[in-house]
Amino acid sequence: MDELKWLVVDFFQAVIAGLLVGGTYGLMCVGLGIIFGVMRVVNFAQGDFMMLGMYITYYLVTGFGVLSFLGPFVGPVVGATLAGPVVFAIGWLLHRYLLARVTGARVISAEAEGHYTQIIMTLGVALVLANGGLILFGSTPLSVQTPMSRESWEIALMFFNQARTVAFVLAILFAIALYLFLTRSDLGKTLRAAADNPIAAAYVGIDVDRSHRIAFGLGVGITAIAGGLLASTQSFQPYIGFDFVIVMYAGVVLGGMGSILGAFWGGLTIGLAQQVSTLFLPYQLQNTAIFVIFLLIIFFRPQGMFGRVWERA
Amino acid sequence: MLSIRSLEVSYGGLKALNEVSLDVEEGQFVAVVGPNGAGKTTLFKTISGIVTPAAGEITYKGKNLLTVPPNQRAQLGIAHVPEGRQVFASMTVMENLEMGSCTRKGRARRAELLTAILELFPILAERRNQLAGTLSGGEQQMLAIGRGLASAPDLLMLDEPSMGLAPTIVDAIFDRIEFIHRNHGVTILLVEQRVAEALELCDRGYVLETGRMVLEGSHDTLISNARVKHAYLGM
Amino acid sequence: MSRTDTVKQYCAIFAFAAIYLLIGWFVRNSYYQLMMTLVLIWATVGLSWNMLSGYSGMISFGHAAFFGLGGYTMTIAFVTFGITPWIGIPLGIVVGVIAGIIIGLPTFRLRGHYFALSMLAYPLAMLYVFEWLGYQEVSLPMKRETPALYAQFNDQRAYMLLALVLLVICMIISLHVERSRFGRSLLAIKQNEPAASAAGINPLRWKMLAMMMSAAIGAAAGGLYAIVLLVVTPQTMFGALVSAQALIMALFGGVGVFWGPVIGAAILVPLAETLNAELGNIIPGIQGVVYGIAIIAIIMLAPEGIYWRVREQLAGRHMVPANQPASSTPIPATVVGAVPEVEEPRVQVFAAEGPLLRLQGVCRAFGGLRAVDDVTLDIKVGAIHGIIGPNGAGKTTLFNVINGFLAADRGSITFAGADLTRLKPHDVCRHGIGRTFQVVRAFPRMTVLENVVIGAFVGSNSNAEAERLAMAALDRVGLADEQAHAIAGGLTTKQLRLMELARALAPRPRLLLLDETLAGLAHDALEDVLRIIRQINRDGVTIAIIEHTMHAMVKLVDRFSVLDHGKLIADGAPVDVVRDPTVIEAYLGRKWMERAQHSVA
Repeated sequence: MDELKWLVVDFFQAVIAGLLVGGTYGLMCVGLGIIFGVMRVVNFAQGDFMMLGMYITYYLVTGFGVLSFLGPFVGPVVGATLAGPVVFAIGWLLHRYLLARVTGARVISAEAEGHYTQIIMTLGVALVLANGGLILFGSTPLSVQTPMSRESWEIALMFFNQARTVAFVLAILFAIALYLFLTRSDLGKTLRAAADNPIAAAYVGIDVDRSHRIAFGLGVGITAIAGGLLASTQSFQPYIGFDFVIVMYAGVVLGGMGSILGAFWGGLTIGLAQQVSTLFLPYQLQNTAIFVIFLLIIFFRPQGMFGRVWERA
Repeated sequence: MLSIRSLEVSYGGLKALNEVSLDVEEGQFVAVVGPNGAGKTTLFKTISGIVTPAAGEITYKGKNLLTVPPNQRAQLGIAHVPEGRQVFASMTVMENLEMGSCTRKGRARRAELLTAILELFPILAERRNQLAGTLSGGEQQMLAIGRGLASAPDLLMLDEPSMGLAPTIVDAIFDRIEFIHRNHGVTILLVEQRVAEALELCDRGYVLETGRMVLEGSHDTLISNARVKHAYLGM
Repeated sequence: MSRTDTVKQYCAIFAFAAIYLLIGWFVRNSYYQLMMTLVLIWATVGLSWNMLSGYSGMISFGHAAFFGLGGYTMTIAFVTFGITPWIGIPLGIVVGVIAGIIIGLPTFRLRGHYFALSMLAYPLAMLYVFEWLGYQEVSLPMKRETPALYAQFNDQRAYMLLALVLLVICMIISLHVERSRFGRSLLAIKQNEPAASAAGINPLRWKMLAMMMSAAIGAAAGGLYAIVLLVVTPQTMFGALVSAQALIMALFGGVGVFWGPVIGAAILVPLAETLNAELGNIIPGIQGVVYGIAIIAIIMLAPEGIYWRVREQLAGRHMVPANQPASSTPIPATVVGAVPEVEEPRVQVFAAEGPLLRLQGVCRAFGGLRAVDDVTLDIKVGAIHGIIGPNGAGKTTLFNVINGFLAADRGSITFAGADLTRLKPHDVCRHGIGRTFQVVRAFPRMTVLENVVIGAFVGSNSNAEAERLAMAALDRVGLADEQAHAIAGGLTTKQLRLMELARALAPRPRLLLLDETLAGLAHDALEDVLRIIRQINRDGVTIAIIEHTMHAMVKLVDRFSVLDHGKLIADGAPVDVVRDPTVIEAYLGRKWMERAQHSVA
């Protein structure tokens, strides 16, 4: 009887952990979702921008201690938030000088061949970032240790890791802010229009290339913030991007490629699945479980579970 | 207002437009008719800057249009309502119209313009919060025209507004186009396969075949021209 | 294509091998010997990638899966069961091929982004599985008694020789693939899959074969890599960098040609290795950075790779202008002469025999739009049957349903007594239905003859026969002479349309579906094409032709079917159809009708 009780407790504990991690994953996926949605580009380097977000947070909070005056609670949060604009700027420049050459209004309507050059270009960027990270940051796994990383709130037998809970709440807030930006502001609507129909967008006077640049910067910036939030509970090294790019694509595909809201739910579900899988799978196979889920989704429901996909008129 | 001289466009080795010239005067209704593959849509895409011509010139209000980047052409007061409607399917009707008024002029007068458009097409007012992708073909066409009008254009270019629509809806659409032309004083350049409707409405018409202008003239000369009838029915 | 060219390529391969061996033989430094071996291995891995992705255009980011399986199979067989690598490597190849089939079956259903992404997931999933199984770092045991029996040599040059033999074998295999029906079919699929399947090529079959061969080569390279390094880890065998390197070698050197990966490896591996050796301690990730920059640079400067860029440069210097003006190409006398000015009465006996193609109640909807709505229609043997209607009337959709690009929602399609309703395009083609496309779907990088040969594969058993059929078809459309060896990308509209006609004609179909073959043709060209179509019909091919305008059609067809909004609104002899008020209304609109009635009244 007692055993059963603990089994149930374990299960719910895993669900809570999954939701908390999943919130951050959701935000991460939203970043990727914007890029795919607007530019129709598969960005392989997305995981590496997340990695940059983690290191930027680390150096702001622990490494150089610039933010130490904010104390152990606010510091990491501010650090993660600041990683956003920094990575936004990197993404902006990268698009301006590299990606714009192989993407944009001209290529978007082209047949598959144009897309391959984009994918391969982002693969090159991913290799440079990951290995450049190795050069700059070294291979020692790091994490942003805060007092909250090991503390938990206990509510009704369940433990809520403090750092994860804070990250979860912030991830939701950022996701909501982004959602409002895309649905309420003129600039956000312009991005959606460029995503929906780039040709028609050009006809109504939208600069599609500029929209792509903003979307790319925004997408990698958001993912970097999510990375920064994750950094206080997850140890990382420069190669972490390759694992997370699959995690992110699993989320985005699950949510329906092109749907930004769907990407959030997709990421949340992936986090949940990952944590629940620890109940019956060895720790090392967590990622394998995600890859298998990813493949299953892609085979059986490529249009995703949450998003609505309109045939392009 | 718009003047095209000896325009040539090629795709690969194939000439899509050959020595095409055309004039649109302020306040006129000009129609270009012709069969599939004649190059009508290419002509429009060249005016909008999506296609770059091999030779020839386009002047708009005395300005060389070819040096203006595509997304700036809308700012000059040219609205292109594309073939196949091309509405923003995942956005609401209102958002589509707002996107239409992205230009400086449109943004400044947005509220006023949108009210006028919704009056023009009451069905769009009814469906204002519906996603454009869920509209019927005719409603999407009205939305596309509305989106074009939302930039407060001086020149409205309509690319086959009748495409794939049932005859009664086509009649309604042409009725609206005529109304816009007459009551709002918008200059209209229309490309159509439905020869009758197009020629009926226009002040001036052109017949485009295999990339060449084969016939041009006023409303009266074209409407009674036997060659037009022959070309489209083989009789 | 020719035999002499193949011999030349063989000579080049062996010359390359001999020079490489000669240089390698005199290199004494074991580090450089290892590097020379690694160049060969990575070239082989690049060839593995090229076999699938280079030839078929399905970009794979997961070739580490095959590489790793090959290496680990050999290692585990050796360590656990004492099986020599001489058997272990072939075993690894078998495992690799099986994995290729298992991966290919579901993954080939995906396209573009989805294919590339899911390929990335396979090796990464395997990586964690092998870690979990406890194979973090497996060393090959040293066999001091009989090292050669276990592929262990004191002299590094032995490994180099082994790697060279493997590479040469893979190069020769690749050469033959490029020259064969297999390679041609893959190239056709890469350039235009719908056109290839309409020409009777079964895309899945060829892609699967490419996947299996690619997996075999990758696994062999992985096995060899393991015996050279004597240790395997999940990261070195399944890591993302392995997959990336496979792609980079081919991409950098040249995609879709077997020299590409060899060139790529010869440049990049020494570069990255040297940097790694010189600076690896201070700058640990330099190798990856070099590869990353190499990719970015190549995409921006020479997206097809060095081989093609160099070839382009060379060709540009001494080549005759390829685009000869179209108007100067006369129709060969064989065709023109065969068409008398006075039209012979067409053989009407066919008409009595009944329908060749029968559509019954065929429907096809897209969402709410009924693109083809309950169409029932017979096309008689020997007829030229015109299908007309305004834009968006569903004409092309109807053809797509007939030739299997789209499945009918309801209704049936029978052709010469056989039910075609559920068949795929390549099977429909095999039944004897050829088609052309509204927007010409050429294989732009192939010559005219090669384009048509693709179409002729269905009707032939050998390459020679296919080429003969193709020449015959080109002769029928009047492109047999100098145009046959021109690159399709530089043709005029008329020539492209004729080439496509020849491609559809090459396997000697009984029915040709022509989709707006006359569109965009100027008057003279139009008359030529009309004459050719009539001649083809007189030779016994039934023709269904879609056209938007009527005037050219009235002179051509025996029967009209008019579609409007997916519905068949008229069906009959041309004279009757053009007088039908519904047809006139569909074409000219109601206002025209009203005006016409007024003027009569």
